[in-house]
Amino acid sequence: GKKYTIGEITVSGAQSFNELTVITFSGLKKGEEIYIPGQRISNVIKKLWDENLFSDVNIYVTDIQDNIVDLEINITELPTLNETTITGIRKGKAKELLKELDLTKGKKVTKNLLTTTENFIKNKYKDDGFFFANVMMNTNTVVDSTGEEIGQNLNINIDRGKKVKVKKIHIAGNNELTNAKVRRSMKNTKQKNPIRIFKRSKYIKSAYEEDKASLVSNYKEKGYRDARIVSDSLAIVDEKNIELFINLEEGRKHYFGDIRFIGNSIYTDQELKNFLGIQKGDTYNGVLLQERIADDTDPDADDLTNAYQNNGYLFSRINPVEVNIQNDTIDFEIRIYEGRLAYFNNVTVVGNDKTNDHVIYRELRVRPGQKYSKRNVVRTIRELGQLGFFDPETIAPEFKNVDPNTGTLDMEFRVEESGASQIELQGGYGGGGFVGTLGLSFNNFSLRNIFNGDAYRPLPMGDGQKLSLRAQASSFYQTYSLSLVEPWLGGKKPVQFSLSFSHTIQYFYDFREREADRDRRFLITGGSIGLAKRLRWPDDHFVLSHAISFQHYNLKNYNTGLFTFGNGFSNNLAYTIGVSRNNTFTNPVFPLGGSEFNVTAKLTPPYSLFNNVKYSTLDSDPEFQNPDGSPNQGLIDQKRFNWLEYYKIKFKGTWYTNIIDKLVLRPQVEFGFLGAYNLDRGVPPFERFFMGGDGLGAFSLDGREIISLRGYPNQSLSDQDGNTIFNKFSLELRYPITLKQMASIYALTFIEGGATYDGFKNYNPFQLKRSAGAGIRIFMPAFGLLGIDFGYGFDPIPGTFQANGWETHFIIGQQF
Amino acid sequence: PYQKALKSEDVGLKFHMADSLYTVGKYKKALKLMEQVVPEYRGKPQAEKLMFLYSDTFYNLGDYYLAGYQFERFSNSYPLSEKAEEAAFKGAKSYYFLSPRYSLDQKDTKVALEKLQEFINKYSNSTFIADANQLVEELTHKLEKKEFEVAKQYNRIFDYKAAISAFDNFILDHPGSEFREEAYFMKFESAYQLAVRSIENLVEERLTTAKSYYESFKRNYPESKFQAEAETILEDIEQRIDNKQV
Repeated sequence: GKKYTIGEITVSGAQSFNELTVITFSGLKKGEEIYIPGQRISNVIKKLWDENLFSDVNIYVTDIQDNIVDLEINITELPTLNETTITGIRKGKAKELLKELDLTKGKKVTKNLLTTTENFIKNKYKDDGFFFANVMMNTNTVVDSTGEEIGQNLNINIDRGKKVKVKKIHIAGNNELTNAKVRRSMKNTKQKNPIRIFKRSKYIKSAYEEDKASLVSNYKEKGYRDARIVSDSLAIVDEKNIELFINLEEGRKHYFGDIRFIGNSIYTDQELKNFLGIQKGDTYNGVLLQERIADDTDPDADDLTNAYQNNGYLFSRINPVEVNIQNDTIDFEIRIYEGRLAYFNNVTVVGNDKTNDHVIYRELRVRPGQKYSKRNVVRTIRELGQLGFFDPETIAPEFKNVDPNTGTLDMEFRVEESGASQIELQGGYGGGGFVGTLGLSFNNFSLRNIFNGDAYRPLPMGDGQKLSLRAQASSFYQTYSLSLVEPWLGGKKPVQFSLSFSHTIQYFYDFREREADRDRRFLITGGSIGLAKRLRWPDDHFVLSHAISFQHYNLKNYNTGLFTFGNGFSNNLAYTIGVSRNNTFTNPVFPLGGSEFNVTAKLTPPYSLFNNVKYSTLDSDPEFQNPDGSPNQGLIDQKRFNWLEYYKIKFKGTWYTNIIDKLVLRPQVEFGFLGAYNLDRGVPPFERFFMGGDGLGAFSLDGREIISLRGYPNQSLSDQDGNTIFNKFSLELRYPITLKQMASIYALTFIEGGATYDGFKNYNPFQLKRSAGAGIRIFMPAFGLLGIDFGYGFDPIPGTFQANGWETHFIIGQQF
Repeated sequence: PYQKALKSEDVGLKFHMADSLYTVGKYKKALKLMEQVVPEYRGKPQAEKLMFLYSDTFYNLGDYYLAGYQFERFSNSYPLSEKAEEAAFKGAKSYYFLSPRYSLDQKDTKVALEKLQEFINKYSNSTFIADANQLVEELTHKLEKKEFEVAKQYNRIFDYKAAISAFDNFILDHPGSEFREEAYFMKFESAYQLAVRSIENLVEERLTTAKSYYESFKRNYPESKFQAEAETILEDIEQRIDNKQV
């Protein structure tokens, strides 16, 4: 070509682009020397093309004077996208899809854009089982009122067609496993079968790919380590059905041969063999071998890796190597690099904007100077989550400054504070009048700052104490309560101290006059004080607790069915001892595993042993008789119940098992018994069990214990005065919908059965009131747990003859 | 006139009004006006003054989170402004005010220290230098206290091994700290407590270790206020060792 210098550069055809921008894109400069024709020009054209902004690019020479050349860049701009609409599917779906496609206004409509969009949608539908989904892309030009082109509207018409089902899966090449067995190993892709109701037989490509892998690993678990899918294909039967063809090669069955350990010094070969649990001659199972060495699904597994990781060997590596294959026997060498012991150096916590260090550090199972232990790290995360101050789903350990040379590492636990205070504010009509409730519960309170004005932001927080206040009032009763819990009394040992007071005033309510009679009243004043201590034996999940409680009941001209005496009092002084064990994890709202047990015994002093009152003959004592000589039941009962005498034993056990994904099975067993030391004095009318309904404690005047049983009305399954024995069994299946910090939501279904009995004579654990149903729970940090359950009672409630049928239960707090 | 200015379309009037309200210390009112005009002045010459006043208003109102951010923006936009130095200092000091009590996460404390250090490096002749140094000292002290209290808590909850490691780390990491003396002493005390609570055949060895900690405490702080207490413990250690060796 000939050499020229560029003079003027002009741009034609530009609509939305500035001319200068186009020139800049081209890279050509005034005064630049170029050859025409030459490589440079074609490069410029290519460069402009590559911008993907133009549908046509030309460069013209407009003028040549001497060796100065003027150029014109002529471009045709690609149309820009104006609006995209999707038709053929539901509005909501279309909206979702639009968001996913990200076809924003102003994008250039290129052929490529259209094809990729079309393919994306097609694949998406294919993945959902719509194998024959059809997508039509239509563009049309939009002009504004002056006739100028402003862009193109895109219409995507989707005809998703019928969902494709797998009519048959043909399997060839399998000799050792039957067709049915092979098909069973495919969890998601099933051939049509009218009696299978839970799994559908739709064809989803990604799930099918997964299934192929699990098919092969199923073979591997059975010793066929060389099993593979030689080929597979898909045949279209009609527009609704396809068939799959899988061609297998099984290979031969293999067995474990000698297993040698190399590089181990802290464990003997025998110990490691025990950890491994695989014997020479066992059917070869690669999956099991991997699981025994390092089980990825369970951080607590008793595998070989954890044997090292839990004892300080952070740097250990374990590698199984096949060293020899003879016929069908595979010899292994398990090569172990132990590395040096690792110790924690600095252990820190970050992210605590509200909770003081001392509340967190005392709960850490990982401390400076300690040998590294994976188990302790995992447990720390679980226990921090259980505190309830942090979002349990986001607690994360960070390994820092891991130094294999010095054998030290720093550990940083990252936490996110979550709201730990709850407010309950209710108003409504109930029991013949307006009832208002105000409840405040501060779960991370700081008692020592209660008089420190600066700490009120908005409340003194951060010392891990729990303070709850509750007041409820209506025209005829008022109840006030206050409780305080300090988890580490004195800050030295995990001894939990709790204190509570409550006071209830109940006036006699005349339902006809709709008036409370303030001269006739019933007062209950009480309090309790308790200590709970973590034990080291049998293991450190155990807690031993003691509590002393006292209640004083005072009646003034208050004759109701509850008491035989209208004027008088009763005192309830009791000591409660309890043992509990709780190793549930991680999220207290939705535990994925672990179990919780609780046994308590509540005992009153055995007054009748030493007060020399003959209760059996009170009715013949003139002092307790009416003037006409008949026994005065009121006076007798006042004598019998002046200081309540009883013992009460309760047991509750709950297990959580993670079945798959986050589906959790929760069996629960409960049992309770109330007895008397002195049969003549008898079991008091207080402290009894009442079963049925949502378990919410209405306003309980007599220390009654309310046991929930869904599918029946509240307290409908017990005698009017309650019973002395109860048992309850329930099975619940839970699945979380979301476990975000803002709100945790899960759905559940349950079956349960329970009953109360009067004394052991009538006890029959098989005579239960049964029910089943489903419900949902929502946990929000500010409101606690709320929920609704629908339960169907299969048995009649006492006094009726028909199944109780459906009941709706509203749940506030953790009843079930 | 304030209400009028608030509703007026005249940007200049608002600016003027805001300025005079700022001068007499009516920051809340001034802020309302400034919020209206800040977008209008973006990129104009008056913006320099306005942005400084705007930042300083947040500062004076105690909204240190926004003050820190706005001062930082000001410093970046007008590095040559005559107010740049003051802005840099007040920006850093805003983070100082954000720093929470020692027992909480100290992320903001670390930011404050960084900003103050930047200021000190950049304006080493500033009139604010003495103030800045004092703030640095205070924040450093806070970070030290945090670490020291954590170590002390290990001692309090009877985890003496963790306490020894934590005091060791503290002594290593904070050579100039005023808690260092107590850390030396507490390390010794923790070692002593660990020894006397050990199983029989470890006691003597651990007592000897504790004794060596006493010596390094004594060497570093010959005239410590913990001396008397330390001597008492030492006597007990020696007696116990003597009893063992008999």
